[in-house]
Amino acid sequence: MTEIKKGHPSRGISVYSYQALLGRTMTLDDVFEEMHDTGATCFEFLTSYIEGYPNPSPKWVDHYWMLCEKYHMQPAELGHWCETHLHRGPKMSDEEIVEELKQDFRLANLLGFKSLRTKITCTNVLCDPEPGWQSYIEKALPYAEKYDVRMQNEVHLPTTLHTPHIREEYLDFIRRTGTDRFGFNIDFGTFQTRAAKGMEDNPMFHFDDVSKPEEIVEFLPYCWTCHTKFTYMDENCEETTIPYRQIIKLMIDNGWSGNLVSEYEGVLAYNSDKNIQEFAKAMVGIPEQVRRHQIMMKNILGY
Amino acid sequence: MVEFQAVQQRGFHNYYDENGNIAGFEFKFVPRYYKGLWFTQCRFGNVEVDGEVYDRDCISIIYDGIAYSREELFDLKRYWQFRTPIVVRVPKKGGLSVGYHDVVMNFGWVLNYNGALEKEKDGSGLGNMAHMFGTKNERRMLLCR
Repeated sequence: MTEIKKGHPSRGISVYSYQALLGRTMTLDDVFEEMHDTGATCFEFLTSYIEGYPNPSPKWVDHYWMLCEKYHMQPAELGHWCETHLHRGPKMSDEEIVEELKQDFRLANLLGFKSLRTKITCTNVLCDPEPGWQSYIEKALPYAEKYDVRMQNEVHLPTTLHTPHIREEYLDFIRRTGTDRFGFNIDFGTFQTRAAKGMEDNPMFHFDDVSKPEEIVEFLPYCWTCHTKFTYMDENCEETTIPYRQIIKLMIDNGWSGNLVSEYEGVLAYNSDKNIQEFAKAMVGIPEQVRRHQIMMKNILGY
Repeated sequence: MVEFQAVQQRGFHNYYDENGNIAGFEFKFVPRYYKGLWFTQCRFGNVEVDGEVYDRDCISIIYDGIAYSREELFDLKRYWQFRTPIVVRVPKKGGLSVGYHDVVMNFGWVLNYNGALEKEKDGSGLGNMAHMFGTKNERRMLLCR
């Protein structure tokens, strides 16, 4: 039996982690400097943070690449939205949707991203996709190939890896088409077993049915970037509600070498615009939370 | 850089017509949401000041120097950049008085997230995201001129 070569995931950060501060007290330059301080080597960006989206100026693109070079940060994933209802009235045609996707593929290619977090229109809190998605995504596959990007549907709490549509729709699509241009960004929140500090009263999240770590193995071949989600890091730089070490060991032992990007989504961000006291807490606390998470990731990965 | 509140105090003042008379008031607004929005998916509601309601069809939304009505924005395929304020211009003869005012901007949007698709196809509502983020943005602000 051939031994699987151990994987070597990259350690990164999602710029989304700083969204409560970006444009308020932090510029994009500040965010890059902050990320660099942590030792992260790659990052997730959102189309929304592209100045002039969907037509950024050459000046902005040059500045973006300058930041990547100055702070030694590799583009990992571009988060974008597969819009199907841009206008009032009926859903857009497949051709209109694919045109929107092509626009983002071109941008991702221009900005150096190989993977995308593609938000497919969903219709309920479990993120069951709007019927008919297979048709336009299949039509977009040749363009994903052309621009060398991979679309990933995010598996985000309360969706689990055993929520029916994950297997019956998305996995079925991948196997039927044989594509390597569509897969999953598995958000580690899907493995969370209880509320983290400060999030106990959030009605959006329930933990009675969550993904089990071993479930991830089957999905790894279709996975290029994952959100290492966290909502609270303690003073010892530990996250205690998600079995991080077990999940990452499974990924490495199964030869996975994608990007793990820290994504903060805790109470400091949720409360940041409530009042000046909460905003002040967020201003200090969010960068500190990300730093703590990066220390934990470094301890787990060893680099 | 913008202030951390959705309703911005910077830019809150009365405005004048071509004859130098106060024609109304204006303020800036930037959504609290973590991403930018297509204007076609924005749903602008009424403005309220000190309890008085100003109908959404009477206000102008100014973006990048161009004024639009709410109805025009339904067809404006343009991206509202993240953390970039619009100017909300509200006609009111004589404007607001100098002093503190409680300003409310009602605003929602349509997005493909975690909820039923927009039911009101005519855009008469405030989008399909209210269940997650609310639609009322309030701030007490000091007007100087």
